[in-house]
Amino acid sequence: MKHRIHELNALEQLSSGDTFIHRLHPMAKLLSAVFFIITVISHDRYALMQLIPYVFYPTLLMALSETPYSMLLKRFMVAFPFCFFAGMSNLIFVPAPYGVISFFTIIFRTYLCVMAVLLLVSTTPFFEIANSLRFLKIPNIFIVIFEMTYRYICVLLEEVHSMYIAYSLRSAGAKGIKMRDMGSFAGQLLLRSFDRADRIYNAMKCRGYALHILPQNGRNFMLKDFIFFAVVCFFCIWFRFKGI
Amino acid sequence: MLKLQNVTVIYPDKTKAIDNLSFTLNAGENVALLGDNGAGKTSLLLAIAGVLELAEGTIEIDDMQLSKKTLNEFRKRVGLVFQNPDDQLFMPFIYDDIAFGCRNFGMPEEQIEARVEETLSQLNISHLRNRSSLKLSCGEKRMAAIATVLAMNPSILMFDEPTAYLDQKARRLLVDTLKNLQHEKIIATHDIAFATEVCDRMVILKNGRVENSAAPNS
Ligand SMILES: Nc1ncnc2c1ncn2[C@@H]1O[C@H](COP(=O)(O)OP(=O)(O)OP(=O)(O)O)[C@@H](O)[C@H]1O
Ligand SMILES: [Mg+2]
Repeated sequence: MKHRIHELNALEQLSSGDTFIHRLHPMAKLLSAVFFIITVISHDRYALMQLIPYVFYPTLLMALSETPYSMLLKRFMVAFPFCFFAGMSNLIFVPAPYGVISFFTIIFRTYLCVMAVLLLVSTTPFFEIANSLRFLKIPNIFIVIFEMTYRYICVLLEEVHSMYIAYSLRSAGAKGIKMRDMGSFAGQLLLRSFDRADRIYNAMKCRGYALHILPQNGRNFMLKDFIFFAVVCFFCIWFRFKGI
Repeated sequence: MLKLQNVTVIYPDKTKAIDNLSFTLNAGENVALLGDNGAGKTSLLLAIAGVLELAEGTIEIDDMQLSKKTLNEFRKRVGLVFQNPDDQLFMPFIYDDIAFGCRNFGMPEEQIEARVEETLSQLNISHLRNRSSLKLSCGEKRMAAIATVLAMNPSILMFDEPTAYLDQKARRLLVDTLKNLQHEKIIATHDIAFATEVCDRMVILKNGRVENSAAPNS
């Protein structure tokens, strides 16, 4: 479990790297990722072949930002069961060749979208993404929820970890949590996380986090940022309407 | 200078944590807050940081009164180091944790970097810069938590049980660090030896009131 938390962190730790991609303006990366995802999603459910060229985006970004593929793949595996089961019904209910095609389309499409998001997170520090969202006039409340959810996942995992250790040390070698203890374990976990979240939120407020809009500080949007965005858009539009 | 007048704090469940308390922290002074468990030390610090609302009374720093309007300015001037460093370190790297406050107050990024480096070297923890708080020892976490507050350059520093979980060596280091900081300080603690070493005055709380206030060796 502790291992999982470190993994979550490890991806973010990459975001402080210093490559061409890391140095791009966060807004350019955010908009490109959004544009990419929208185009990928806009293809119909049998468009497996048309989707293939899109691998250019994750591949290019991965190479330029020196992000290890294994790290991304491991995280994609978390999403894999979900899209696998979502695709299953196609396999069963849609007649032969189409069912199989749409099954693979769903999986491949999810793969592309998840990669785009993971690459955004691993090349852009979290607060810069949040700042860009603010700049785009996304309602503040969504951004705060986004930031909070993100921080609290770690808190939740840590609480699970320490409670699990405390539990297993007193459970005479039994593996996992017994069914009859599950209820109180979950309830306690919830209460503890609330409590902890409350204290963290206080600590954040003490250091000026007051749900207000931050000045967008630092970098200007430069030519290379624009070119990056334009290139991504160009290829996405090309693949979408012309194919290869 | 910090001045509290007739401050009362009541929790939503009607617990009166601070009861009509008046207290002044003079310029350059270090004060220890002592008292039994539940005496109201933590609540008092949270009230000064503007986290708990006052049911009655006023809090002033250098003639600026704590209110909704001055809240942000107030928080820039008082820094609170929480009892549990885990509550204070929530970013992926120690660097980001220390930069967090500066960013919120709109400092430009280059200045933030300089400020963080300066704070790290002031506390001798430059090696922790790119570490994750999940992997630090208690003593290291404590120092990092202090750094997050120090980086904002507050005029008053408040600590909630800073010696909790520390071994002798880490405690020694903390004493030296605190003595080197020129800020006015309020330190809530159960550790009387520690208080004697670092503070000029002791204030004893009981049931949310000041019971006694004296120089350490009297
Ligand atoms: N969130 C809360 N809701 C309601 N009552 C609270 C809350 N936090 C603290 N109290 C109560 O307020 C009183 C003062 O608590 P406080 O935590 O300030 O004491 P303390 O002096 O810091 O104690 P300790 O030495 O154990 O840390 C106690 O009676 C406590 O039960
Ligand atoms: Mg306390």
